[in-house]
Amino acid sequence: MRVPLERKVLNENDRIAATLRERFQKHGVFCLNLISSPGSGKTSLLERTLEGFDAGRRIAVLTGDIQTDNDARRLEHFGFPVRQITTGGACHLDARMVERALEGWPVEELEILFLENVGNLVCPTSYDLGEEARAVLLSVTEGEDKPLKYPATFHHADLMVLNKIDLLPYVPFQAEVAKENARRVQPGIEIVDVSCTTGEGLDRWRAWLDRHL
Amino acid sequence: MSIAAAVLESLRAEAASHGGGRVARAGLRIGELSGVEPESLRFCLETLVAGSDLDPLAFDFEICPWTRRCRACGAVFRVVEWNPACSACGSADTEAAGGDQMELTYLELEEP
Repeated sequence: MRVPLERKVLNENDRIAATLRERFQKHGVFCLNLISSPGSGKTSLLERTLEGFDAGRRIAVLTGDIQTDNDARRLEHFGFPVRQITTGGACHLDARMVERALEGWPVEELEILFLENVGNLVCPTSYDLGEEARAVLLSVTEGEDKPLKYPATFHHADLMVLNKIDLLPYVPFQAEVAKENARRVQPGIEIVDVSCTTGEGLDRWRAWLDRHL
Repeated sequence: MSIAAAVLESLRAEAASHGGGRVARAGLRIGELSGVEPESLRFCLETLVAGSDLDPLAFDFEICPWTRRCRACGAVFRVVEWNPACSACGSADTEAAGGDQMELTYLELEEP
């Protein structure tokens, strides 16, 4: 007997993500999912970001890694709530992990919730976490063709943060080619250039965040 | 692997809600922009199915192209070489139309 179906494979994840999104929207929480390869600078960007916020701001971070709570320890001394999600092998965050990690947290009072995904340009793409926006980081020590090699990730991103621009004089990376590649895959993508080391461009990144609050 | 596990979980739930017969075959629709490599998914599915209560189980893959819709002329076109411009009229004013599917499309159930 053949039974026709129209069922999304990740419908259980999508269902939980939808309840999270509804909760974030109801309370005006801007939730941002940060995705990149390992080592592109997600944690560094969050360090510079948290450092720049006044202590009274209501910001929180969930940071995902396969092992260790090193990232949470790097981020927690800025005084904002940080929780580590250790996936124990999974190469991405899923909505259930986020839901569990938020238990007992006053999510409703937040302005911004950052979700730092596991460093991986493939698997996180498929998992909706209930975020309002997605940012993908690309650093200038990678290849300009990453948007073409990983089109799904860039296609689903609202923002590309081009990081480590202080290193541009020392690497063959062609920033304009990388941006052109990102725009081919996602014509609507916004792009900001930053250096978490020198602080260059972080004002543009903060302005982007502010526009979403 | 977790996507393959989600496929099997969905498939068990659907089989149970359709009378509980054994699943002999399942159809999957995978878009080019889904972030899933069909051959890797097939490998993971076969690995999880082997020796389980679902063994033997065959999968049919339907691959969906990456498409965009032209806001100027309305054409839905396949994106080739990452080119987002309309293949019919050349307009750059286009929007996403498809390619991120990851769906279960049918089950073939044996009589319980």
